[in-house]
Amino acid sequence: MSSEDKKDIWKKSLKSIKVSVSPAIFSTWFVQTHLFELKETDKRYIANIGCNSSFVKSTIESRYFGLIQDVLSKVLGKPTDIIFSIKQIPQKVSQKLSDPSPLFSAKKINKEEFKEKLAKSRIRPGFTFKNFAVSSSNQMAWAAAEAVKKNPGTAYNPMFIWGGVGVGKTHLMSAVGRSILKSKEGASILCCTGEEFTNDIVEGIRNKSTKLFRDKYRMLDALLIDDIQFIAGKDAVQEEFFHTFNALVGSGSQIIMTSDRPPSEISKLEERLRSRFEAGLIVDIAPPDFELRCAIVQIKSQERGLEIDMDYVQLIAGSVDSARKIEGFLTRLMSEAKLKNKAIDKGLIENLMGKNSDGNGHTIKSNPNDLVDAVSKYFSLGKRKLLGTSRSRPVARPRQILMYLLRTELSLPLQEVGRIVGGRDHTTVMHAVDKITTIASEDINIRQDIRGIKNML
Amino acid sequence: MIESDILERKMKLKVLQENLKQAVSLTSRFASSKAQLPVLGNILLKAEKESLLLSATNLELSVSVSIGADVSEEGEITIPAKTLSDLVVNLSPSTIELESKKERVKINSDHFSSNISAMNSSDFPAVVQTVGKNMTSLDRETLINTLQKVLYAASNDETRPVLTGVLVKFDKKKLTFVATDGFRLSTKSIIADNTSDQQSLILPKTALVEITRISSDEENIGLNFIKKDSQVVFGIEDVVLASRIIEGNFPDYEKIIPKENKIKINLAKSDLSQAMRLAGVFARDSANTIKLLVEKDGLTVTSESSKSGSQKTKIDAKVKGDIGKDGFTIAFNYKFIEDFLGSVEGESVDIEFDEVNSPGVFRDPEDKDFLHLIMPVRLTS
Repeated sequence: MSSEDKKDIWKKSLKSIKVSVSPAIFSTWFVQTHLFELKETDKRYIANIGCNSSFVKSTIESRYFGLIQDVLSKVLGKPTDIIFSIKQIPQKVSQKLSDPSPLFSAKKINKEEFKEKLAKSRIRPGFTFKNFAVSSSNQMAWAAAEAVKKNPGTAYNPMFIWGGVGVGKTHLMSAVGRSILKSKEGASILCCTGEEFTNDIVEGIRNKSTKLFRDKYRMLDALLIDDIQFIAGKDAVQEEFFHTFNALVGSGSQIIMTSDRPPSEISKLEERLRSRFEAGLIVDIAPPDFELRCAIVQIKSQERGLEIDMDYVQLIAGSVDSARKIEGFLTRLMSEAKLKNKAIDKGLIENLMGKNSDGNGHTIKSNPNDLVDAVSKYFSLGKRKLLGTSRSRPVARPRQILMYLLRTELSLPLQEVGRIVGGRDHTTVMHAVDKITTIASEDINIRQDIRGIKNML
Repeated sequence: MIESDILERKMKLKVLQENLKQAVSLTSRFASSKAQLPVLGNILLKAEKESLLLSATNLELSVSVSIGADVSEEGEITIPAKTLSDLVVNLSPSTIELESKKERVKINSDHFSSNISAMNSSDFPAVVQTVGKNMTSLDRETLINTLQKVLYAASNDETRPVLTGVLVKFDKKKLTFVATDGFRLSTKSIIADNTSDQQSLILPKTALVEITRISSDEENIGLNFIKKDSQVVFGIEDVVLASRIIEGNFPDYEKIIPKENKIKINLAKSDLSQAMRLAGVFARDSANTIKLLVEKDGLTVTSESSKSGSQKTKIDAKVKGDIGKDGFTIAFNYKFIEDFLGSVEGESVDIEFDEVNSPGVFRDPEDKDFLHLIMPVRLTS
């Protein structure tokens, strides 16, 4: 029986009851009742009548039981038994939180508002200090960013962060922007790339609206420019940036820039700009080391709600070298695990890693001799020495790398590798491959060596 | 006929004016003079053995008070609350004789006699007269102290019934009281023995206000939840107060209590209190809004009115945390802060802020179990 039907039945019954009792009694007792439940059995109905309070219940139960039973039986057309319970009228109960009160909706509004602000400032929402892993390779940059966050405009102005791809320059810069936005109500912050800045100027010049452009950039509390090196060599842009820079620094606004190289190495950068950049703090971020990569794997997998064992974290960190690649790897790992409904284990991870190098077209199509040449050239070792019997480290390590490469890159059988490397036993080859695999996951130099050799081919 | 029996049943007794006066002034508060049903405006008098029981109800709350009496004939009758209380309060201390005959009650004392028209008790709703078993015993002073710190935060808005109540949460060995009107929230917990199951009830504010008003020498208050009637019964000495329970879900208050706050302030209560009174002079015209500027060494309270002017009060305070370069500004309804200050026992106040639009946390260092939240007024910049 739907609630509408019940309401209707009770309404009809009340109309009939109204005739039999005085208006005062009706409005004191009956208005506070409703038909809570109605059950049908073979020949009878059982009606549960909800009363607002125990006073209503006891009074109605003791004095109007017969009246209600008669009326209900008539309305329903079958003999009806009635029971009473204390239940508030549902409408009144369900009204409770329909309009949000400020205290209980504050968090939501705040969050949405903040998101809007982030979007307006074009700061990527995912980049926070909290999810920025710090180790020796980026500690300096991080400390400087923390200082800027606390005293924007005064601590280090401008701040110049440089480093290779995927080391976390933009992350750090965005995190500073986010913190400033959070701590200062109504702060105006803009995060853009050097290219966007250039486009804005071009647009301004074309539409004769350079004033608009100036208003946009010179009134900011903080300007964050990604990949500033793109403005190098563009005279009009550099000039405009120079003036913007002066205006902002003059008014105490914070400027943060990122680039892939230090100002001194950005060619075609105007001297006056270079000197200004160098007046602030220049920090560099080195590619993440093994420990940091582990931390990044952990942070990123947590963000995805993925649980990975420490052993596997190290396995991934050992073979994926940049933060972006880690992100990509985890995405693939997650979708793979989901699609194939597999648990995340060593096999799956190794399988995916194999696919990774295949998929990127990095396989080396060359013969073993080229590889031997490349290794001997890379390490400046004579071929005879490399393939000879010397077991001193400066010779043995390159030899092991050679065996590792022959085995992994050219997929040669163990015996064949042993034959190429001066007729060695297949167990020696196995040992070498294992050794390099473990070292490579920890030692960045070996990885650089391997990459260097691959590039020579 | 039973009906005529009751009508014919006489009641005759003697009581002391002091006792009757107290009982009548308490019960008459619960009788609703505006009720459509006249009997609800009456007090039920019931003479039984050695006592006279007075009861009244407004159908949300009910009260029963028992006083000692010299009963010569048992019986019951209802008398209009206002008439009875106006008479009894003005009588001089002495013995009062009450006698009912049909629908009339005679009241006699020294140099005074009166004849009041009454109503028979058959229409009077059943009122709880005992606390019942399984009650939880609470220290009266602690309970009243707790209620005074919580009750003012409850809402008066009848369209949201849940917020007009106070959430009472029974935990093992602990009772937590929470009230909120959507703009502020007050919570305090007390230690209570033999609380039964873990459960939460929403009690109407009105019932709890009455608890704080009932004066008694008794040290303990009994509390009992009668699930079948969805009623809560309080017993203080000879007074039994029953209240319905508000149905519905209380908002999830634990979620909105900020865990960590950026700024922590400690200042003297008297200073803040004075600043609120001063700020109030102008804030009254601008929706009670005052601004607080938190700086390294203190707090500046400003308020302004487009009509009458503006003011600025500086208060010394211990400020910890990150307040930013130009200090931290936040706006409040000063009445809320005044209400909170009224419930602080100690000499100083702890305040914590996190963000301009998230609730400020107010504490009394003297009372660790008490916490108050106030939603700031949004500033349009």
